[in-house]
Amino acid sequence: MTEPTLNAEQTNQWNKPPQGQARKPFLLRAMSRFWQSLWHGKPPNLLILLLSMLTALIMVIPILYVVVQGWGAGTERWIQLWDSRIPGLLWNTLSLTAVVTAGTILIGVTFAFLVVRTDLPGRKWWRLIGALPLVIPPYVGAMAYIIIFGPTGWVRDWFGSSPVQIYSFWGVVMVMTMFTYPYVYLITAASLGRLNANLEEAALSCGQRYRQVFLKVVLPLLRPAVGAGAILVSLYVLSDFGAISIMRYTTFTAAIYYQMGSFDRVSAAMLSVVLIAVTLIFLWMEWRTRKNIRYSQQGGTYRRPLTIPLGRWKPLALAFVFLVSLTGVFLPLAVLIYWSLLGLQNGAIDASFWEYTVNSLVVSGIAALLSVILAMPLVYLKARNPSLLTSLLEKVVYSSYALPGVIVSLGIVFVFNQYLPMFYGTIALLVTAYIMRFLPQATQAGEAAISLVSPRLDEAAQSLGHSPWKSMLKITLPMVLPGVLAGAALVFVSSMKELPATLLLRPAGYDTLAVRIWIQASEGFYHLAAPAALLVILVSILPLRWILNKY
Amino acid sequence: MTSKLKIFTFLALILTLVVAGCSPQANDASNDEEGETDELVVYSARKEQFVKPLVDKFEEESGVKVKLMAADEALVNKILEEKNNPQADIFFSNDTGALEYLRIEDALAPNDSDKIQVIDEKYRADDGSWVGLSARSRIFMYNKDLTSEKDLPQTLWDLTDSKYKGKFAITRGGNGSMVAHVAALRAEWGDEKTKEWIEKVKENAAIITEGHGDIRQAVGAGEVEFGLVNNYYFHQQLDEPKDNNVDAVYPDQGKDDMGIFVNAAGVGLIKGGPNQANAKKFIDFLTEDEQQKIFSFESKEIPLVEGIETTSEAKPLSEYKVMDMPLKEIGPVWLDAKKLIEEAGLDLEVK
Repeated sequence: MTEPTLNAEQTNQWNKPPQGQARKPFLLRAMSRFWQSLWHGKPPNLLILLLSMLTALIMVIPILYVVVQGWGAGTERWIQLWDSRIPGLLWNTLSLTAVVTAGTILIGVTFAFLVVRTDLPGRKWWRLIGALPLVIPPYVGAMAYIIIFGPTGWVRDWFGSSPVQIYSFWGVVMVMTMFTYPYVYLITAASLGRLNANLEEAALSCGQRYRQVFLKVVLPLLRPAVGAGAILVSLYVLSDFGAISIMRYTTFTAAIYYQMGSFDRVSAAMLSVVLIAVTLIFLWMEWRTRKNIRYSQQGGTYRRPLTIPLGRWKPLALAFVFLVSLTGVFLPLAVLIYWSLLGLQNGAIDASFWEYTVNSLVVSGIAALLSVILAMPLVYLKARNPSLLTSLLEKVVYSSYALPGVIVSLGIVFVFNQYLPMFYGTIALLVTAYIMRFLPQATQAGEAAISLVSPRLDEAAQSLGHSPWKSMLKITLPMVLPGVLAGAALVFVSSMKELPATLLLRPAGYDTLAVRIWIQASEGFYHLAAPAALLVILVSILPLRWILNKY
Repeated sequence: MTSKLKIFTFLALILTLVVAGCSPQANDASNDEEGETDELVVYSARKEQFVKPLVDKFEEESGVKVKLMAADEALVNKILEEKNNPQADIFFSNDTGALEYLRIEDALAPNDSDKIQVIDEKYRADDGSWVGLSARSRIFMYNKDLTSEKDLPQTLWDLTDSKYKGKFAITRGGNGSMVAHVAALRAEWGDEKTKEWIEKVKENAAIITEGHGDIRQAVGAGEVEFGLVNNYYFHQQLDEPKDNNVDAVYPDQGKDDMGIFVNAAGVGLIKGGPNQANAKKFIDFLTEDEQQKIFSFESKEIPLVEGIETTSEAKPLSEYKVMDMPLKEIGPVWLDAKKLIEEAGLDLEVK
């Protein structure tokens, strides 16, 4: 590495009096050389680095704790678990993940293609409606479907018997698919919009039919985008607890939750180790697909992609988008509105309902605010001082985002009980869980914002004698703040919806809307669950515009 | 620009205050010397709908603010984990086995109140640390449209018969009533036979649910022919506006049969809880006649205080053969029963 000696004094960033280079003992010189080369000659402000490292540490300790607990269980118990429990759970979990992912690809890609590339009537509206299932938490969706198709549901009351067995593998598949396909849809739609028309036209001019062009040209180009969406879906299926438990299915995540009520937490930790391993494999796959995303923007002429006339397929295409929207948005909403009205008549909105609402808002609000404060140093470090250490920190922060909430809570319980008993039994546990789970949403938003701010600005400020710390606060922060606040809004909404960690970590008497929805839905008190569910959906709509712009 | 910074520091400050303000220490400061507080923390393995009316009534009568955490048997572990830092004062349990287990693990405090003497000593701990409040019998409820009494199993062991395959519902093995029931069966049959029973029943069951509420709905709706429940679930289904054509069979009533397993729900006094005085008040309150009536008329259970009226459809304990196993004996073997259930793989199964 070549070191710009010119900056020797400037890089001395934590205001130590500069020393003569020659007087430095050898070891110190070697250290500082290593330090310089680690940061490619641009070492960061120490305070920012320390804050980032502290955040990453907070994020990783609970997970490490779980892993250590799980590993330390002893060979005998591991063998017992592999013989009895793990194969079945693996099969349950992976088969569900595979089928749901396949289903979301089918629906998501078709939907995206229809609204972006064809002359579908009203496609502007369909484009928005296609994303809407994203705001319905799957456990709410599951509740709605049980009300419709369940053994004591509407369909049975009208027709005498229900055609679908909702409490079955395929029932779970349907619910999970309908409420997670927007991940695939949004990313694919964005990618479709960026495709260069030249490629397709070249293929078409060779006399190929469009169907073949789609299969041979368009799909391969979409593969990275579809892959990224599919990974998001699979990670979601791996980590979901609410919908799966309401639908009487058992995946690893549900098993861990139930194990937390078994005779010790060790088996829960052991199952968590396996699930962490599975999640890491998925993450690695995602990283591979992300590496391969290349937008095919070769120089020269970029033109808007052509619109394909649907012709005689039009009715079928319309039927498809209509059916998807019906099952993913309108039916569940109709059910919820119907039961909310019943609830209103029966006094579901009482003082305690507002108490749960306030609880939800307070905890989510604190988590959102803290996430802004914690995200800033990480964002700044990644943008201005890229290095091995930085990307390691980033991966650590991202990994707890990908892990199921039950594992995060398990770790948090361990850690707080051992080292922070004074905070045990307070909402501090909830806030920690939300930050561990959703901080990356804030950092990603911040990264998008800071990428538009030129580093020359900080450099200019520093050359005028500001410390890097001050130039970050006075120059970069105000310009990045809107982006980070959008990220905080996402954290807020995710925290409002969060279920498993909230169930496991809430203090006595501190129920949130999500917890109430789950409790009432599992008891069959739909008139009490529906108003809370509607409220959560309403709050989730707020940052939707921002999400739509993101992809 | 600096004003932004100020706002940030201010927000951070507010946050620390909020978090600090929510910690229990802040409340402790306001207590006076006799340990008198104005709060009570109740952990309940019983469903909210059974506990909430009692809690609300207590709040109203005593002016104490009750914080209720209604969950499931996982709370037994939570209490043990919190032993060095107790968060709750009262544990409301579905079965006395779990309470006795907690007592053996030294998580409960003795209670010398005179008021709990009204409960038969069969149904309370020797040191008063837990008290049974209401009894429940384990019965088969069935759907009269689908089957009749003569086609139903007459003993619990009959559930292993392949002719009932796919016809009935049971709860997950993690369910408190189920654990206690298995513990009682184990005392009667020994390890091997009990494990065989669990494995076969798991195989034969059409539905395995999280709790008994799902079973009564499933039987009522005709999803399955019958299900193994606590008796009051059957009484509740009779009160439903639809799907209420159900009846019940009391199993194991033959001359040489073991009789029905009767369990009790009750409360335990948690050792070192933050509001001990209120906890004792609450236990006394629950043993009063009025509250006992709530058990028999609202949750349709069998009250344990002598001379309390019950609903017409609830059979009094004296009318059927009951297993002769003191409930206290379930405590020491509660863990073994759980282990047995785990080995047989019923603990996580939901279908």
